[in-house]
Amino acid sequence: MKVLIIEDEPALRASIQDYLERQGYICELAADFPQAIDKVNEFDYDCIVADIGLPKGNGLDIVKELKLLESKAGIIIISARDSLEDKLSGLELGADDYLTKPFHLSELNARVNAILRRKNFDGNTTVTFHEITIKPASKTVLVHNQSITLTGKEYQLLLYFIANQHRVVTKSALAGHLWGDEYDQAGSYDFIYTHIKNLRKKMLEAGGDDYIKTVYGTGYRFG
Amino acid sequence: MKLLTKTTLYFLLIMLPVFTAGAFYLYSKFNKEIKHETDEELVNDKLQWMRYLDTARVDNPIFRINTPEFILRPTENAAQSKHQLKSVDIYQEPENTYAPFRQLTQVIHVNDKNYELVLRKSIIEKDDLVNNIIHVMLAAFGGLLLFVLLSNWLISKSVWKPFYQSLGKIQKLQLNKLETIVFERTTTHEFNQLNAALSSMTTRIHSDYTSMKELTEDAAHEMQTPLAIVQSKLELLLQDDTLSETQQNSILASYEELQRLSRLNHNLLLLAKIENQQYPVTAQPDLCAVVEKYLQLFEELIKEKELQIRKEMAATSPWPLHPALADILVSNLLGNAIKYNYTRGNITIRITTDTFTVSNTSQLPEIPGNVLFQRFKKHNSNYTNSNGLGLAIIKKMADSYGFSVDYAYMNGEHTFRVTRSLSDSGF
Repeated sequence: MKVLIIEDEPALRASIQDYLERQGYICELAADFPQAIDKVNEFDYDCIVADIGLPKGNGLDIVKELKLLESKAGIIIISARDSLEDKLSGLELGADDYLTKPFHLSELNARVNAILRRKNFDGNTTVTFHEITIKPASKTVLVHNQSITLTGKEYQLLLYFIANQHRVVTKSALAGHLWGDEYDQAGSYDFIYTHIKNLRKKMLEAGGDDYIKTVYGTGYRFG
Repeated sequence: MKLLTKTTLYFLLIMLPVFTAGAFYLYSKFNKEIKHETDEELVNDKLQWMRYLDTARVDNPIFRINTPEFILRPTENAAQSKHQLKSVDIYQEPENTYAPFRQLTQVIHVNDKNYELVLRKSIIEKDDLVNNIIHVMLAAFGGLLLFVLLSNWLISKSVWKPFYQSLGKIQKLQLNKLETIVFERTTTHEFNQLNAALSSMTTRIHSDYTSMKELTEDAAHEMQTPLAIVQSKLELLLQDDTLSETQQNSILASYEELQRLSRLNHNLLLLAKIENQQYPVTAQPDLCAVVEKYLQLFEELIKEKELQIRKEMAATSPWPLHPALADILVSNLLGNAIKYNYTRGNITIRITTDTFTVSNTSQLPEIPGNVLFQRFKKHNSNYTNSNGLGLAIIKKMADSYGFSVDYAYMNGEHTFRVTRSLSDSGF
């Protein structure tokens, strides 16, 4: 899977590249608008992560260019401005998703993952991790080919974990993914633990291994 | 006291002694004139009488006449060449009072005998004169008062008009709309000076305010990218298997604190955007639906604390708010009601067509009114994940979009009520 990262901040570009490559993607980089236009014209990508605020141009114009080229690449827009207008115009132009800085790398990865799944296989694919098989189209989860029933939150949690397998995922990233940005309004996100406990229990009951490891109380690692 | 009332009052205070003095002057002048006229007439009469007496015979009854106005009586006194004039009061029988008279006396020599001649003429009664003068003066004073009031009113209508216009503008002043204030040129020098001073003042305040605001916004914007970089680096660092437990804990702690900083920054930007009215009212989201959405979102938290939720909601309640702001309004108030509640506490949500009320039980004491909506005022230090901006955001939203927010504390229940004026519903 080839991902193009268009981001003018070298440090952030490198972080994204690092994280995505560890998850098995092949990453190419562009630091400004002309470079980005050259790359999308020259190569085919499965997914493009584009910052809106770029030197010598606007990330939204890259979305336009991609649509002109009838590219099948999934597009995620990143913006430093939490602006609804940017988000709407980006999505209208044909971007698939929108992220506001600062974001969790695990969240970006999960979104890239979801887009690729939708795009490349029209959703008719399975996500497999050892004895666990997920059929996103029907939202069913099999452990050792035996179907288990998960709540909506547990299902989302499992998909997120598998997308970010072997990585430490923080509680705030999980909470943000499951409940959106408002979760911090109400205070604690200790209740995540309840969902994780239930998910683990259901998988263990179906004969699966215990893949969810607690990392010093504040994070989790799957696999 | 209004300026107009004050000047009128001062004017009257000055005019009062002037009029009184005028009245006295007028009185004495009149008095003098009347005396003078009467005296002339008396002297004239005397000459006529003398001429007549010179030709009269001795047995003429005229020599024994005694009336209040004419007396001729024999006397032993020596004849006088000059008459004497003086004022006397003579008893008036029909009116039973004394009336003022001028009297002329002279001892004359007629038919080899000396006679005392007394001529009297009534002068207008002084009381009447005083009364008349007081009446005239009061009328003049009243007339002047009316005139002053009327002219002041007219003057204030025209001359003071620019002043009141400027005053009105300053009264309606809003910090974020200072640049729209224009003070027109007037024909009055003083007002032009005032307007020029006001203009330069508002311009200076506006530029200070704008640069302050821009600084906050720019700082918040510029912080987003470094925050993103640091967060990503920490997240990558977390993945390092060779880290010791303490190192990993430190990174996690830093990561969580960074989240707090991000939220703070996000809220500061939000405050600035609300203030800049960057959330136009394009739709009227139903507050009831928004409440239901957030009750769903906070479901776990509510269950965890075993909170009792009471809902008294109208069927629908469309509010003229940007959907993002409606979300923030509900999530902030509901979030607080959950966060600061105790286990098995209550939350009451009331929605009518123009009010949105959230009440919750809490162990926290009443929030003092003066710090209620202040930024960064944390009402309880036990809640570390609060940044003290939630209520400030609600207040800012209310100020910018014409709502009002009330807070009340009764029997351990904190109540926040947001009221919109129905006249704004036609946004």
